Amino acid sequence: MNDIASAKVLEYKGKTLNFTPEDPAEAKIPSDELHEHLQKPSTARTKRLKERCRWKHASAGEFIEKSVTAGIERMRYLTEAHKASEGQPEVIRRALGLANVLNKSTLVLQEDEFIVGYHAEDPNMFPLYPELSHMAVQDYLRSDYSPQPADEAAAINDYWKPHSLQSKCQPYFDPADLGRMYQVSSMEAPPFASGYNSIVPPYETVLEDGLLARIKLAEKHIAEAQADMSTFPWNGTKGLDNIAKIDHWKAMVIACKAVISWARRQGRLCRIVAENFETDPKRQAELLEVADICHRVPAEPCKGLKDAMQAKFFTFLICHAIERYASGYAQKEDTLLWPYYKASVIDKKFQPMDHMGAVELVEMERLKISEHGAGKSRAYREIFPGSNDLFILTVGGTNAKGEDACNDMTDAILEATKRIRTAEPSIVFRYSKKSREKTLRWVFECIRDGLGYPSIKHDEIGTAQMKEYAKFSLNGNGATDEEAHNWVNVLCMSPGLHGRRKTQKTRSEGGSSVFPAKVLEITLNDGYDWSYADMQLGPKTGELSSLKTFEDIWEAFRKQYQYAINLGISTKDVSRYFEQRYLQLPFVSAIDDGCMEFGMDACALSEQPNAWHNEVSTVVAANSLVAIKKLVFEEKKYTLEQLSQALKANWEGFEEMRVDFKRAPKWGNDDEYADSIVSRFYEEVIGGELRKITNYSGAPVLPTGQAVGLYMEVGSRMGPTPDGRFGGEAADDGGISPYMGTDKKGPTAVLRSVSKVQKNQKANLLNQRLSVPIMRSKHGFEIWNAYMKTWHELNIDHVQFNVVSTDEMRAAQREPEKHSDLIVRVSGYSARFVDLPTYGQNTIIARQEQDFSASDLEFLNVEI
Amino acid sequence: MEAEKSLQNQPYTEVGTAKPCRICKWQTPDPTDPHRGQCTANRHAMGGVWKRWLRDVENTTCSRHEEGKLSFRDHV
Ligand code: SF4
Repeated sequence: MNDIASAKVLEYKGKTLNFTPEDPAEAKIPSDELHEHLQKPSTARTKRLKERCRWKHASAGEFIEKSVTAGIERMRYLTEAHKASEGQPEVIRRALGLANVLNKSTLVLQEDEFIVGYHAEDPNMFPLYPELSHMAVQDYLRSDYSPQPADEAAAINDYWKPHSLQSKCQPYFDPADLGRMYQVSSMEAPPFASGYNSIVPPYETVLEDGLLARIKLAEKHIAEAQADMSTFPWNGTKGLDNIAKIDHWKAMVIACKAVISWARRQGRLCRIVAENFETDPKRQAELLEVADICHRVPAEPCKGLKDAMQAKFFTFLICHAIERYASGYAQKEDTLLWPYYKASVIDKKFQPMDHMGAVELVEMERLKISEHGAGKSRAYREIFPGSNDLFILTVGGTNAKGEDACNDMTDAILEATKRIRTAEPSIVFRYSKKSREKTLRWVFECIRDGLGYPSIKHDEIGTAQMKEYAKFSLNGNGATDEEAHNWVNVLCMSPGLHGRRKTQKTRSEGGSSVFPAKVLEITLNDGYDWSYADMQLGPKTGELSSLKTFEDIWEAFRKQYQYAINLGISTKDVSRYFEQRYLQLPFVSAIDDGCMEFGMDACALSEQPNAWHNEVSTVVAANSLVAIKKLVFEEKKYTLEQLSQALKANWEGFEEMRVDFKRAPKWGNDDEYADSIVSRFYEEVIGGELRKITNYSGAPVLPTGQAVGLYMEVGSRMGPTPDGRFGGEAADDGGISPYMGTDKKGPTAVLRSVSKVQKNQKANLLNQRLSVPIMRSKHGFEIWNAYMKTWHELNIDHVQFNVVSTDEMRAAQREPEKHSDLIVRVSGYSARFVDLPTYGQNTIIARQEQDFSASDLEFLNVEI
Repeated sequence: MEAEKSLQNQPYTEVGTAKPCRICKWQTPDPTDPHRGQCTANRHAMGGVWKRWLRDVENTTCSRHEEGKLSFRDHV
């Protein structure tokens, strides 16, 4: 058999290919501990920082490290300011709240750090957000990691109950609908109930202008507005607009001043430690250098790479953790840092260093993110198992002129990533035919080391999408053709603009999920959920006996799906309505050129729409429809009633029937029967119905299939399904990935299937697992490179890879303490394997490990 | 007999029960609403953990109640 993984040789185009390791030294490493030998921190300092990194990974809703707890300072000082500012304009209250937190909170400075700053009073802590969801804080209060003193925390949460985003939004919905959403079985809970959020901060203005310049700009606008109000003749239809604008600009000034003084306070702390406590002269000098940096940035424009890293990190902390909670680490990091890399590494004009100096800085940045704790709700501690939060940055792609955007900063980021080996932050690489080979080699090196990232996105698809969404811009100022190249993944999968304006500021624009497999389950039960909640979970769309044809099921599903997506998008838009009235973001607004120009809040201003909604478990639903069509309506081997009986019994006593349903054609094998039904399902129903909805920004909503860890949660809240799955087994792990273990026809059959879905999609996650010996061999890069070229030609949106052996994962299950550096791709993010529940670990082991046959290599046109 | 056994195995309401789901090792809180919960006691030989929603974790119980807490590794 020409099976490379087992035989390690393959006859191809008259040659015998051997798949021995490219690095001969690897031959001596036992295959079940390979990943414990791959890290190579660039300096002794980053090695130490990694060893003492305070991970805050959560799994199954719980923090894994016992020392991790919620802090109280943010909620305490926010509340204090809220009480003291009663009667003032809401946006000013928000700014004063931020200022009070920044002025009074305890600062953290840790040994060996060069990039400084933290968002809670202790490096083992993270802040909470009672102004978002009081249910989410209540859950913390009942947990082992409740903020202390507990009485004070409970009183704060009670205070916020009437003021919280949750309380503002809930009255506009039927409690029965909300109860269905809160379960997270057919729909994700609305943002006002979970507090979950994400953002793409306009880092560019902070690094290029500095906050002092932003303050000047806001003050200029205030003066102009006041002058306008006193100009004769007064026009009340326009003049009154100045009031809200002036409030917004004033709030921006308060926020920026507070951030500058907080950063400078951090600098003073470094100076105090250097001058009074530090005995090592080298560290003393370093702390004084950090003190100088924090005094200058983010107040002033950045001049070198150290400035840029620090200003970026302060901005991250404010935008993602202090002003409001937001998941993510969205930025085009190589483009953003390139001018500062050039100044420091190439021109040596400011903060001179060599390339490896830049690599060390990136390693330190990655470790700072790895210990960043997120006070997110239980749902989100469940659905990204093994991670702190979703942190995903983007590199590569093309620039505004359409040229390759890779540069030496891209390579520094990728080299640091390979060397330091952390699960976070994850990286997206925008793949273009123009991407230079030197950088592609680094991308490959990270992938073959089993990091699970960079995940790859199709450059041209993302750019075309930005242009398309720009057409719906409500103020006619969407992305220009040049700006359309400036996109990053907002979180795991969905592209959105980066830059000085027009970025996505709130997840009420795009995000949240619907679970088609659960929707199909209730469709077959007249909207009733018999398998998890024992209640009506959707509208009544017909008893089983009324579903006489396959099209009847299709149409009943459509109605259930319409109900779920309508509720999903309307709850997001209602959140948006109240966010801009009670949850304004004065700092984010201050650093966005659009908000600054118009005197508007970041949650209110929409220039570039980016409407998306996640579909998770589409493939279980689609495979189930294929099996029903074939076995019930075409072959008539079983009736719907018999199927229902078998499902209610979890297939017990119906084994032959289960095997029939399990063996029915499955997605991902280039099987025309299955693929025609599945692609119609994606294009006509999943995307087709969603795009009928218009969101706050005036654009059609499109599906972004991405499972994160939701495929486990949804699977565990779902009974058996007609694809032959047992009750409680995980759902499909991507957005368009074949169900685990069912893609039996090789990697190129998967690509051919996936390429058949093109219409009405925003993004779709493809998870693939590649053979370790092939990828680590001297032919690994050529094969992967050819695979990527074919993937690109087939116009597929995304792909990400696991390159980890079953042996090694099994060894880590037996002795977790010996495998702390084994990282796996879950879905849209990576995690340390040992930090996943066994349930989740098994889903990764169960994924099909793709070998490449000679015919696959021929299809890929591999030149060896 | 089977039906009776499965009835006791299923969560049922018992106001003021001394063995509420909230302190049962198979329970994990609801993802959104802290007054609700999820029972994870149904575990399939093929590896599935088939959860059941618990409307009221203080006043629901069943015959499989066991005090304690499972490690994250044994949950989903
Ligand atoms: S008491 Fe019964 S129903 Fe409740 S969590 Fe325990 S096993 Fe589940």
